[in-house]
Amino acid sequence: MSISVTVNDSTNTATITIVGSFDFSLFNEFRDAYINLDKTHNHYIIDMSMVEYLDSAALGMLLSMRNTIESESSITLAGANDFIKNILMISRFDKRFGIQ
Amino acid sequence: MKLLCVDSEPVYREIVSLCAEKENVLVKSVATYEEAVAAFIDYAPDIVTLDVVIKGGSGFNLVKTFKEISGTRFVPMIFLASHTSDSVMDKCFQSGADDFIPKPFNEVLFNIRLKTHMRHIELMKEMYRKNKALTYIQTVIDREHKMAHQVLSHIQNRSESNSDHVAITRLSAASFNGDLALVKTRSDGARLVFVGDFTGHGLPASIGALPVMQAFFDAADDLVGVGELAAQINRILLSILPDYMFCAGYLILITANGNITYWGGGMPNALILRQSGVIDDLRSDHMPLGVLSAYEFEDDLKSDALENGDTLVIVSDGVLELKNHYNNMLGNDQVRTFVSNAYAEKDLMEAQKIIEKKLTDYLGESEQLDDITLVALRNTH
Repeated sequence: MSISVTVNDSTNTATITIVGSFDFSLFNEFRDAYINLDKTHNHYIIDMSMVEYLDSAALGMLLSMRNTIESESSITLAGANDFIKNILMISRFDKRFGIQ
Repeated sequence: MKLLCVDSEPVYREIVSLCAEKENVLVKSVATYEEAVAAFIDYAPDIVTLDVVIKGGSGFNLVKTFKEISGTRFVPMIFLASHTSDSVMDKCFQSGADDFIPKPFNEVLFNIRLKTHMRHIELMKEMYRKNKALTYIQTVIDREHKMAHQVLSHIQNRSESNSDHVAITRLSAASFNGDLALVKTRSDGARLVFVGDFTGHGLPASIGALPVMQAFFDAADDLVGVGELAAQINRILLSILPDYMFCAGYLILITANGNITYWGGGMPNALILRQSGVIDDLRSDHMPLGVLSAYEFEDDLKSDALENGDTLVIVSDGVLELKNHYNNMLGNDQVRTFVSNAYAEKDLMEAQKIIEKKLTDYLGESEQLDDITLVALRNTH
């Protein structure tokens, strides 16, 4: 599977790890990853350290997640390589997400 | 499930029938080669058992004939043979058989093999069904892509055509992503420019393009400011598009004397090649259009100037991410070199041809994955 989810109850954090190409083919799978959780968490981390490529559809999927998750919860995009970080910054995702 | 049993010995026809009927398989038995061919056509079995020696012909030839008739339909052929030498078995498989069971055989074993083949038949049927459905969907998508192309071409036709001041290059990829480039000179002589890149592909991307085009040309007619137009397009896209779709873009106004005001969101840097050869950057520092609510939207503008002999070049990310034969991306630095070299040419149309050639040369034999848009503007008053 290209997407896996781990939950840490003590820190109230859900981590979604994506492997390979983050693109339109993961549309439903990515949505299921945060919708099917038992409860709303305070923190969400999208672990992108194993993402090789990200297209504009993936940016849209992240924005859709931001709209769905309550605004009190933080979403952090973590571990992106320089190429992907550059794409995130061009679209000013720092305005809606934490970027690490 | 239907089984055709070809056997010259009545006792084996009986055994095969009994075994197969236990698995709810319908059985038709024939004794001769001729009957077998006729039954294969009329009865259209899903699975066949046959002997090597058949009245009126050989089992090897019969298998070959069956495989020819069945074409792409998968019909397993099982030899039930009294001749069990390696060379006979080899010949059976060479002829196209799918299995070989020596006579006399154990009924339990026969049923296990039969069930295995039935499972394979079901899998193949499922695969054919899915393949058919996929082919259908592929046809629909191809048609939708063509339709989206047509819609966008119609929009592009309203844009100004190439001249000494404006050059637009659009190279559409096979799977098309909705780049949009519009230029219109206003009644006050100022030139309004929009270069946009919609998320998504095909028809969904072109749906957003239609109202954007309308707003753009209305704004050019009514001398609406860049900030106001940006906010308006943002509002339109926010209400029309689902939340996973947006449009990166530049809105630029160049007055007759070369003053530039611009709004940029989600786009790579645009470049101004000065007459001196220096390159300056225009930066897009906003979120793309169609993301932020009207309340959050930032319509603050930046400014610059286009002196006589300067060239403003706007590229979509399809240009930067162009991949050559070695799977290397063109990238920022090479684009800057291309721009420096090409637009040193005094004639804008010539310069555009030069950079187009550089891009196609870079691409070489490899497939262009994304749409490419490259807009160049000059102020030559």
